[in-house]
Amino acid sequence: MNLVEKILARASGRDSVEPGEIVIATVDRLIMHDLSGYLTSQVYEQQVGKPIPHPENVIMVFDHQFSPPTERQATILEHNRTWARNKGINLFDCGSGNLHHVVVRRGFVKPGMIVVGSDSHTPVHGTLGALAVALGNDSHAGTVLPYGKAWFKVPETVRVELHGTPREGTTPRDVALWLTAEIGEGALNYQAIEFTGPYVKGLGFWDRWLFPLLCVDLGAKCAYLEPDEVTESFARALPGGYDAQPLRGDGSDAAQVLRYDVGQLGPQVARPPTVGNVAAVEEVAGTPVQWAELGGHGGGRLADFRAAAAVLAGKRVHPRVKFNLVPSSREVFAEAVREGLVLTLHEAGATWFPPSTGSNQAINMGALAEGEAMISTHARNFPGRNGSPEASMYLASASTVAASAAAGVITQEGHR
Amino acid sequence: MSGKTFAQKAIERASGEHDLTPGQIVDAYPDLYMSHTASWRCIRTLEKMGVTRLYDVDRVAMVMDHISPAMDAKTAADHQLCRAFADRMGVRTFYDVNAGIAHIVLMEHGHIKPGEFIIGTDSHSTIYGALGAFGTGVGFSEITAAWVTGKLWLKVPESVRIEITGELPVGTYAKDVMLKLVGDLGADGLTYDSAEFTGSYVDGTSVSERMTFCNLAMEMGAKNAYVAPDAKTTAYLVEAGLRPEDLRPLRPDPDAHYRDVVRLDGSALTAQIAVPHQVDNVVGVGEVAGTKLNQVFIGSCANAKYDDLVIAADVLKGNTVAAGTRLVVTPASAAVMARASASGVLSTLIGAGAMITNPGCGACAGNGGAMADGEATLSTANRNFQGRMGSYQSSIYLGSPATAAASAIRGVITDPREVLESGVSA
Repeated sequence: MNLVEKILARASGRDSVEPGEIVIATVDRLIMHDLSGYLTSQVYEQQVGKPIPHPENVIMVFDHQFSPPTERQATILEHNRTWARNKGINLFDCGSGNLHHVVVRRGFVKPGMIVVGSDSHTPVHGTLGALAVALGNDSHAGTVLPYGKAWFKVPETVRVELHGTPREGTTPRDVALWLTAEIGEGALNYQAIEFTGPYVKGLGFWDRWLFPLLCVDLGAKCAYLEPDEVTESFARALPGGYDAQPLRGDGSDAAQVLRYDVGQLGPQVARPPTVGNVAAVEEVAGTPVQWAELGGHGGGRLADFRAAAAVLAGKRVHPRVKFNLVPSSREVFAEAVREGLVLTLHEAGATWFPPSTGSNQAINMGALAEGEAMISTHARNFPGRNGSPEASMYLASASTVAASAAAGVITQEGHR
Repeated sequence: MSGKTFAQKAIERASGEHDLTPGQIVDAYPDLYMSHTASWRCIRTLEKMGVTRLYDVDRVAMVMDHISPAMDAKTAADHQLCRAFADRMGVRTFYDVNAGIAHIVLMEHGHIKPGEFIIGTDSHSTIYGALGAFGTGVGFSEITAAWVTGKLWLKVPESVRIEITGELPVGTYAKDVMLKLVGDLGADGLTYDSAEFTGSYVDGTSVSERMTFCNLAMEMGAKNAYVAPDAKTTAYLVEAGLRPEDLRPLRPDPDAHYRDVVRLDGSALTAQIAVPHQVDNVVGVGEVAGTKLNQVFIGSCANAKYDDLVIAADVLKGNTVAAGTRLVVTPASAAVMARASASGVLSTLIGAGAMITNPGCGACAGNGGAMADGEATLSTANRNFQGRMGSYQSSIYLGSPATAAASAIRGVITDPREVLESGVSA
């Protein structure tokens, strides 16, 4: 069996499962942010209303809002706090960080688990060798919260092998964006993607993270890497540690094997209106940007701030660009202070924001006016997602974002 | 006739008139017209009137400090309109959403000089008196008119001298002095008066503390506020990039006439709290100690300067914010953020569990930090009106940065002496 099948077999009490079967499986973790948590709690209280038997497996992180701008939004958060407190659910309040980073860093996700959440990028936890799936709020309210279970159709597994070494200055983010276009949006509907091959297996944990992250735009049910030494040593260092033998796939046949050579690949940008509308940076070079942001699901990592500091060394943010820095967690922010990155980037003209998802969906910040453009490490670029439908969002690596922030136009100059 | 007050001299200089007396109405030419995020209102008016030339574009100062960065498409469009206007007109004193609070940014960057007449679209423009300038808040229409005609009419105010003496006890600060005064004199205690702060205590204060005085003078209705410039003022202005030989400070004559003289001895002061929903509803901290707080906000033009963050960090060092209480810290400006980052103050605040937001007005102006029904915030800002920070059914208490920090540690309103005297909590 492939890893996803093994996990579903274990969690449904079966010896084996096959793609296409429908199983009822025990869920290990339910993760929610402030918006999905609110909707889930509403449905739960109105239609279910019984005590939650295992609140310790439920985690809510306030990440779309770090400081509510209106009474209405404040009321949502206060409702969530009260609900979480009454139910005994784990709550991480404003400023804790991005949902997915917080639950990993606080040790809630371990290899082999089933993790569900209503954020569409929940499959990112496949980076740890977990089966992570985005379900709807109603599923969480109806079955996960009261019974700790959910039904799944066992997905087919597609193996994506990445070979080769990209050009110097090309980052894993560039490869992940490029791959989204190569495979094609919606091309792998309801399939499980195993990312493998020497390129991706040669990356550290937080670089691997960028690959399962984008599987939702391919239509996939989930994505993962087989646990290896990188996974295990990362898991061991998490709160609560990890000393088990992770479940691994046995190399069973995949429904498809897709092989890609990333050799000679250069920096990439996803242009509006979708994540798969990817081009080499050269093709959009010179496009003016008024905003740049490191943050969101595809950024806010320590590596992103280090990359930006390297690109901006001896430079300043362009006077017409506002460059937002949004750490993915308090831990990253504290480390950035210790390393001097906070001061260096601040003095280069960038502005730091509380750990959160930043401009994602422009709930708390990051609304753009008609005709404005932002280049960012975010995971989505749909028109209207950030303010005006006539604004543009470009997705790129931290290095390209920083270089563009300095130039005032999209560029890869200054990349090293 | 008797000598002249600061206000008389400043308005004479700005109007070219002589021998002005309180109550006279004159046209004066402001040295600077400050407008913040809502400059878009002025721009729209100009556009409607078809005006294309400004009186003196170099006196226009715009700072995008309220609602920064934009939280919705409407605000983003407002910001965009301001940027385009500044570009088109050649406004050089333009600070975008990343700069911080207008008052603090303009003072830090040398745009405010002693003896100048400054108008701003923000009621707390009285703060410029900390540098010996005549600063006063006006409406958007007044700023728009000044952009075009260069002048503004005003009535020469009467003056009140506020003499503060004595050494403040541990746990009390400039904010407590001001809250005490606001409580004693009332929200209308200095209506349309020019408030001149003087006395041995004031002489010994830092420019940062003087900003807190002049800022809060507004809460007694003052037209403007003033502290006589001294060596500390000059040092601040040099740091801001100005040359001492370019400064033309004004000082009141010793025999000037004052409508009233208010005396306060600070040596017996305790930490003061303005309780909901009026700034002049002031009590000693003991009367409300123990009140549960959902949030503590250290921010605003009153108390989010570097020195204020140092005061908070000294209290927070080695302590942790109480579970169930959120501590939001919004540095007043990018320069404050840089200093706090370089000096370790930022690390201390983060280590204690504070959430650091981008510099700007933040929660004080309703951009973030909103409260739900039944919630309470202790804030270092200057206003606690009902509904200012979210729900009408929420409460705002005002206090010093030290009171804020101590209260964040305990989760309830706390006299800072309890933490300062006990040192690091176990």
